[in-house]
Amino acid sequence: MRIQDLPGEPVIWVLIASELLVFAAAATAMAAVRLTDPAGFAAAQSQLHGWMAALNTAILVTSGFCAALAERACRRGDRRRARMTLALAALGGVGFLAVKIAEYAADLRAGLGLETHPFFTFYYLITGFHAAHVLFGIGVLALVAIRLRAEEVQAGAAFWHMVDLVWVLILPPVYLLG
Amino acid sequence: MDLHRIWLTLLALTAATTALSFGSGAVVAAGLVALAFLKARAIMSGFLHLDRAPEWRTAFTLPLALWLVLIWGLYAL
Repeated sequence: MRIQDLPGEPVIWVLIASELLVFAAAATAMAAVRLTDPAGFAAAQSQLHGWMAALNTAILVTSGFCAALAERACRRGDRRRARMTLALAALGGVGFLAVKIAEYAADLRAGLGLETHPFFTFYYLITGFHAAHVLFGIGVLALVAIRLRAEEVQAGAAFWHMVDLVWVLILPPVYLLG
Repeated sequence: MDLHRIWLTLLALTAATTALSFGSGAVVAAGLVALAFLKARAIMSGFLHLDRAPEWRTAFTLPLALWLVLIWGLYAL
């Protein structure tokens, strides 16, 4: 196993590994604190809008697919298609954030704030930190779309796939496992 | 790996997750965690190109699998 076997820049893999560790630590802490009040956590979790999380998963994996298409188009020298698919990937990110904002607004209207229950403290911190990564990722996609250099587009797409990867991993502890 | 196939696989796994989320219990929880692992593996293999570096894929997926088992265990307690 050699470092040069890793696809793309090794530093992006350091970033991916460290981000996975941070989110895994937060989700593990949530699961551990849940042991002190399983019924309360289950009751709190049942108030979330699971369908919005499912919709956001579909949006994000589709957006990741567009980023992968952009990477391939850029490698083949098809700049027009690369820009178009990067724009679609970023649009997916905007769609994800729009659904997330609607979800937060519905939660807050229902009186579910950061301090309503420890579950919601973890919920807002984990999903909010992830949403911040989505926002940053949209900026990264826009930046790599300007120069369209293959190695930069690959790095930008890798960041975007990491955002996608984190989402599918935090989904069970935050939304699904009651 | 064909990108369209990975995308469709991810959508199918998402649909399966949604369907399974209506159930409850330790077995359903194990299924949900397994689906999360399959989605993560598909993203890493197909979109992040770790299918070209199988040893590195194992280096990433094995700790992830162990972590998901830990999460399942904490919820199944």
